[in-house]
Amino acid sequence: MKIFTVFSTGTERCSILSNIKMETTTRRDYRSLVLMIVLAVAFVLSFAICVSFGSIKIGFGDLFKIVFGLGDVDPVLHDIVWDIRFPRTLGAWLGGSALAVSGILLQVFFKNPIVEPYILGISSGATLCVALVVLGGLTFGMGAAASLVVFFAALIGSSIVMVVVLIFATRVKDVVTLLIIGLMVGYLCSAVTMILQSFATAEELQGFTMWTMGSFSGFTWAGIKILFALSIPIFASLIFLVKPLNAFLMGEEYAISMGVNIKGFRIALVAITSVLTSVVTAFAGPVSFIGLSVPHLTRLIFKSSDNRLLVPGSIMMGGIVTAFCDLISRTIVSPVELPISAVTAFIGAPIVIFLIMKRRTSL
Amino acid sequence: MIALQTEGLKVGYGKKVVVDSVEISGFRGQVLCLLGPNGAGKSTILRTLSGLLQPVDGVVFINQQDIKTIRKKELAKEMAIVLTKKFAAGMMKVYDVAAMGRYPHTGRFGSLGEKDHALVREALIRVNADYLSERYFEELSDGEKQKVMVARALVQEPEVIVLDEPTTHLDIRHRLELIDILKTLSKEKNITVILALHEIDLALKSCDKVLLVKDNKILGYGEPEDVVSEEMINELYGIKNAAFNNLLGTIELENRQKPSVFVIGGNGCGTPIYRTLSKHQIGTVTGVIHENDIDYEIARTMGIAIRSEQAFDEISELSYRAAIKMMESVDTVIDSGFPIRKINEKNLDLLKAAVKAGKKVISYRPQMEINEIYKTDKSEVIHCDKSCDLIHLLQQEKQSKPEVVPMRAVL
Repeated sequence: MKIFTVFSTGTERCSILSNIKMETTTRRDYRSLVLMIVLAVAFVLSFAICVSFGSIKIGFGDLFKIVFGLGDVDPVLHDIVWDIRFPRTLGAWLGGSALAVSGILLQVFFKNPIVEPYILGISSGATLCVALVVLGGLTFGMGAAASLVVFFAALIGSSIVMVVVLIFATRVKDVVTLLIIGLMVGYLCSAVTMILQSFATAEELQGFTMWTMGSFSGFTWAGIKILFALSIPIFASLIFLVKPLNAFLMGEEYAISMGVNIKGFRIALVAITSVLTSVVTAFAGPVSFIGLSVPHLTRLIFKSSDNRLLVPGSIMMGGIVTAFCDLISRTIVSPVELPISAVTAFIGAPIVIFLIMKRRTSL
Repeated sequence: MIALQTEGLKVGYGKKVVVDSVEISGFRGQVLCLLGPNGAGKSTILRTLSGLLQPVDGVVFINQQDIKTIRKKELAKEMAIVLTKKFAAGMMKVYDVAAMGRYPHTGRFGSLGEKDHALVREALIRVNADYLSERYFEELSDGEKQKVMVARALVQEPEVIVLDEPTTHLDIRHRLELIDILKTLSKEKNITVILALHEIDLALKSCDKVLLVKDNKILGYGEPEDVVSEEMINELYGIKNAAFNNLLGTIELENRQKPSVFVIGGNGCGTPIYRTLSKHQIGTVTGVIHENDIDYEIARTMGIAIRSEQAFDEISELSYRAAIKMMESVDTVIDSGFPIRKINEKNLDLLKAAVKAGKKVISYRPQMEINEIYKTDKSEVIHCDKSCDLIHLLQQEKQSKPEVVPMRAVL
């Protein structure tokens, strides 16, 4: 056998290699498939767990009955599930997915492992525009219309910051400079927000401050409808984006040379991240670190940079992580509720420190 | 067949022209090489040829079609690039990086079929990187990375490959390997290879055409044998204190110091001595060397004064006398240990004359041979066999100068 290998010609070498290759490829594919199924199950389970846990515990059996309207259940429990737990958990669940997707798109696009909507100042831009609406007295009454107004305000704010950062990004190639620009834009937005706050009435201020601290309790059914209507089609459209996203791993120039339509890709990226970030920010306030940590957790799990795995993986991981963060925020020191960012920072900040210390950018 | 051609091309950024009138054409199966100093505009030309940069004026034709009118995805099937810039490959394995080249050929998800896998494997084997398949790209050395990037370009199945300084940061083995791979590819797969190189010697030996770029101008374009001369290379790079030898393809440091040593060379024995002396900034003259001797080429490139003899001729009386005269102005004579045959017998006479004249004679011959050919006792001729010894001996000489007899007296 050994002699055979020594004397093997090019074609034989090729066939030997091909056998090895086929083996490892299928093993990798198999592993990814199993992981994806496990994640999907965990994704669904996390939702059920987060609905059932809380200051009042609701058994899975009761939950099942309530959801499908079977048998007699305490009407109080019914109301808690439908009016409080469901919108909130759905918000955290899908909102987390949305933030995670924004995070992974930005990380690949900027070729930088520590960017996310919050760090690049996109959330701050959204906050500023929401402040303009809420504190500037532009709310036309209450109800579903207000939700939409707040959402559009957030969308305008995040899009403006995103475009500004993108313009700078084409000028400066340096990653650190870009981060600093993002931080500074964020500070500027915060400064304007603070000025607005100092002119606001105490009543307006309290509501706004609560909002900026971030909580998925802000999600009403109206908000959930908007969130679903936007994020589900966007998630579906990502099918068209994973391939160019993979090409982008090698940098913009290689991507162009392989036939990626760079302009279209940029526009799609700005649109998707702005919409996803603003829809979450509008209802839950600026939520930090989900967009950053979830893609990295997903990479660690899949041990891959392939966005065909990472994008769906991040969607599910984002839902799982954020739903549990929300659960922690409302149960750990109950009845006091912690701001969501206080919980996410505990997961996210150590990851940032770890990545910076490691210095090996692993996208 | 012409795969790539330019017409009235001006390259640059925005409206600023970096290099004017770039007129080239790359035939299928040819290697076209851009030579020139840093900042001359080589990368700008390559970026324009590959469509990453819009020409300021003029047209780049790929297969007779204006590059501007070709859709990026179609262009990707005709042209692949290899850049110097590093990228963070993260968790991508070598195989994944190479497979990325299938991008323009695969469907919406970029899934690879049986044919795609076969092409990726073939490309990796071709660049001798198949054994790296399962390694993480990030962990490779620069040379290995560059080979994988060439494999990636191949996987794209292009007709033209553009490489920007692919040999930068590579060790000599990987340099040679890479150039050899590219040369072979161009011939076997009929691919046009366009690349920027810094290794003049490699370029001359492996490229079908060269484009010389300096100070935002084209100095020359054509086959290396026609275009490249020693003067051209010296001008191209603005080389000072060194010179390029076209015949040998080497760079030699110039030796322009006031001569204090006479080296008697021949059969390449003089070359290491010239180099040592130049390295230590010791001026030298040399003779009598036949014009077909490698020592002649090296000494000439270094700018050392030479007393030479025509190839295959016996050293004439005239040359001998001239050499004696040259010897007068120096204190030391070095016998490089050249083989003594009929046509250079007179060099042995030169050595004997030097001993007679009281010059310090340093010989690279074994002690036995010294005794035999000089027929003198050891003390007069100093035996030397290492370069560090030589410099030490030359410096020692200044302290104790032996009695000097005028050269003419020994004639």
